[in-house]
Amino acid sequence: MTRTGRQICRLIFPLALLLIAGCATVQPWDRDLLAQKQMSFNPSPMLQAVDEHIYFSKEASMGGMDAGGGGCGCN
Amino acid sequence: MRLQLGPAKPATPVREVLHSAALALLLIPATAKAQSAPTDRIDFSSLLYGEQSRTQVIEPMVRFTHLLPDGQSISAQLGIDVITGASPSGALPSGSVQTRTSASGRVITSPAGRIPLAPFRDHRIAFDGEWQKPWSRYVTSTLGGTYSREKDYQSLGLNGKFSTDLMRKLLTVTVGGGISRDTVFPVGGTPLGLSDGSIVHRGSNDKNVTNVILGASRILSRRWMVSINGTQTFERGYLTEPYKVISLMNLATGQPAGELTDKRPSTRNRSSVLFSSVYHLTDDVIYTSYRYYWDTWSVRSHTIDLKYRHALGGDTFLEPLVRYYQQTAADFFTIGLPQGAPLPDFATSDYRLGALRTITVGGTFGFHPEDIPGEWTIRAQFIRQAGNSSPPGAIGIQRNFDLSPPINTFAVVLGYSFDY
Repeated sequence: MTRTGRQICRLIFPLALLLIAGCATVQPWDRDLLAQKQMSFNPSPMLQAVDEHIYFSKEASMGGMDAGGGGCGCN
Repeated sequence: MRLQLGPAKPATPVREVLHSAALALLLIPATAKAQSAPTDRIDFSSLLYGEQSRTQVIEPMVRFTHLLPDGQSISAQLGIDVITGASPSGALPSGSVQTRTSASGRVITSPAGRIPLAPFRDHRIAFDGEWQKPWSRYVTSTLGGTYSREKDYQSLGLNGKFSTDLMRKLLTVTVGGGISRDTVFPVGGTPLGLSDGSIVHRGSNDKNVTNVILGASRILSRRWMVSINGTQTFERGYLTEPYKVISLMNLATGQPAGELTDKRPSTRNRSSVLFSSVYHLTDDVIYTSYRYYWDTWSVRSHTIDLKYRHALGGDTFLEPLVRYYQQTAADFFTIGLPQGAPLPDFATSDYRLGALRTITVGGTFGFHPEDIPGEWTIRAQFIRQAGNSSPPGAIGIQRNFDLSPPINTFAVVLGYSFDY
């Protein structure tokens, strides 16, 4: 494994443990705030898509939220 | 009037029918209300994008979503890009005026000491479709297809995701992937890489992209959710930018003495890890994310994104945003090649593969007018991108020039959503 790969693993494992272990249990009747539309990682998919298209055309990076393929000859 | 109440008689079929009819009449309003709940949604957005003295883009998009009674949804999206302007050709500035003709015959003149620009004009049409189906209370799948076409590029893709809720819906795990079969057919033919551009072949070039994603999101408290997404993308085929060039530099003076075409490897593996958090304050919401990206071209990048949604009452909100992005250069990026020296296997002077930073500031205003149905959003962003103005490889006259002048961009997106 490369040095960068090892660094990423060191970063991911504690966070993955946090995701699985987590903190206190949140009961279904306590999820009123979580059920709101704005409590989403991507509350405005179209605006997000526009932003990703802009940055994909201007920068060398891509990836993050979705499992899309290519789709643009702009970069 | 006199009523005589007798003992209750056994129910007759007529009475049962009348009883059922009365109940049905009582239930009609509730049923009608349930049936009138919105089952369709239209989202519309329009991007106005302008780089200072460079590229301008207008991009309207419309998305139609139909909700089915069993929780399924089907959506279709159409987008059109109209792109005009000019972008850096990759060539170095000269001490004198430079004139360049694009593949389509347009001519642009670059003043002495300025980065030469190549004019272009294109339009792109893109169609996306998506089908989402819940298989149970805990499992959902999404299947999508994409198609886009522009003057010299076509893409056809499929993607899918599978999500399952675990730990009493505190943890959601997502696995997905996508494939894309793209075709590149440059205007005027495909030039041979690292040549003077005179040798071309007229056929098309294939580019295949495969993408996998593994993600997990976790509810940490009544107000806080976090997620991790890892993506891996494999690109194979024609990954070169056919219109970009690389200057040959005179070793003594640094003056451009010719141009060669761009040439990039035919494989690229990209990886990224994205950490996201959404936290609900009393009324407001804070969104934060960090992405680390790396690929086999030696590009590494960090992206930090912050948004703060400030509730203004009702559906009205103001959401300031800040984004910071920084990347390292690809290992074959060069500002120019020394004249007469042996050529490398690959080389590019495309500034987007050089070291650069992007800073974005802006905000979104969302509102729901009383008289007009639907939700409106306006997002305005100022994007400033800058590379290394005086890279170490600059020689002679090039040391006097700004080899990566900042690019200032203003982008406005108007969004409208309507349920019916």
